[in-house]
Amino acid sequence: MSNILRRIEIPIFLTIVATLLQVIPYYVDIPIINDTANTVNLWVLLVVAWATFIGPLSLMQVHGKTVQKRSKGWYFSVVVLVFTVVMSIAGLPIAEIGLGTKNAVYTWLFTYGQTPLSGTMYGIIAFFITSAAYRSFRAKNIEATIVLVAGLAMVMYNAPIFTATWPGFRTIGQWIYDIPNMATNRAVTIGAALGAIALAVRTLMGIERGYLRGGSD
Amino acid sequence: MSSFFDKFENIDRRWIYLLSWIFVLFPLIFPLGLPVPINKESQAWFKAINDIPNGSVIVFSPMFGTSGMPELFPMTLATMHQLWSKNVKIIVVSFWAEGPLVFQQLLNQMNPTAAPYNKVYGVDWIDLGYIPGSEPAMRAFGEDMKKAVAKDYKENKNLSEFPIMQNINKASDVSLVISIETGTPGLTEWLRQWQEPFRTPIIVGCIGVSAPGMAPFLQSGQLGALLPGLTSSAEYELLLNRKGLAIAGVDAVSMSHVLVVILVVLGNVGYFVNRGKKK
Repeated sequence: MSNILRRIEIPIFLTIVATLLQVIPYYVDIPIINDTANTVNLWVLLVVAWATFIGPLSLMQVHGKTVQKRSKGWYFSVVVLVFTVVMSIAGLPIAEIGLGTKNAVYTWLFTYGQTPLSGTMYGIIAFFITSAAYRSFRAKNIEATIVLVAGLAMVMYNAPIFTATWPGFRTIGQWIYDIPNMATNRAVTIGAALGAIALAVRTLMGIERGYLRGGSD
Repeated sequence: MSSFFDKFENIDRRWIYLLSWIFVLFPLIFPLGLPVPINKESQAWFKAINDIPNGSVIVFSPMFGTSGMPELFPMTLATMHQLWSKNVKIIVVSFWAEGPLVFQQLLNQMNPTAAPYNKVYGVDWIDLGYIPGSEPAMRAFGEDMKKAVAKDYKENKNLSEFPIMQNINKASDVSLVISIETGTPGLTEWLRQWQEPFRTPIIVGCIGVSAPGMAPFLQSGQLGALLPGLTSSAEYELLLNRKGLAIAGVDAVSMSHVLVVILVVLGNVGYFVNRGKKK
């Protein structure tokens, strides 16, 4: 019995059924398939809600090992573990005993801890981008010069101080945005979509098995 | 003289970081009041919201976390101000875990029940919180809202108890989706699960770097309006005649861009001086 349950055809069959249930209602209006697809979509909400537990567990496993081995920067892992536990407990959805996302501890940590820290991490990118722009925008050859000119044009297009000084910066930037950018992004989007279709067909046919046991039979 | 210029080719990154810090911080402490020309993106956004017919039901979705707040929170505040100033019914829902918490920060700054808005919770607006499940969740919510969300986020009551949800069941009952977002799930998922199957119009506010990737959908008409980044938010605040966080930050945007241009020019001057020497 266990050998039958281990057969690779079972997950492939489940994948095919789940995929077709999402694809068919998109093109054909068959009430019974539509209803089944909607029910399966509701199951997804439950599955994902349960999968959320994997995140903190995995996080605690990784950082727990770092602390246990006293690896480099282990004290940062202690901070991660402490706040994971505190926020997980404070955020448990049990409103009857004052827990949940409206809990005072949870709200305080979110507002005065996570929010400014995340904003700071995002803000730090500005330093790296400035440094990277300075080092990479060099007119070393024709291609690099095109990138340099286009890059500077877009920098000026995005800053009101330039467009207010000379509206031509806006016109030039808008042209780059509307013509070369649009054409390139369309190509990327269509290319990615075709790739996704090919991957879906390979998965449906059982050829693509990378998501199963690392791809081996 | 040339030895002075050739140093520009390799300025120590610590000097660049220090200059960045000064160029960003100075205008935040001492606002310069630099001019902000109003462009078509912010005008289209303003018009899209202004044109929502009275009594319509719309979905407002904060699809970003705390890291996106510096760039997206100002436009979220301004958009909600315009929405609450109108006679439209708003369903707030997020498919990002931090969405409801970000929206709570908005509620800490704006009180919809007080003047000048005077909106009633459950009648004029409702907060449904976060729905886990990304794209399938968006689809499930679009197919049957009351099955996908049993209770509201704010008062933990059944959705059927709220007057706003009486005649609203699926995406086709919604007049407009307003999504403020940083990534996935976001625009493409809204297009696949709401705009295409239900023909629900969508407008999106996004971080500046996402805008080029979304532009083709704007040109094709699948996306009604696109408000990218802090500069457009500042323009939108001017259109609303309500200066806020974006106007406060746009001087810093301008000055940081000026620094980039200066550094790139200096870097190239240094490069050509050194190349001339080598020849």
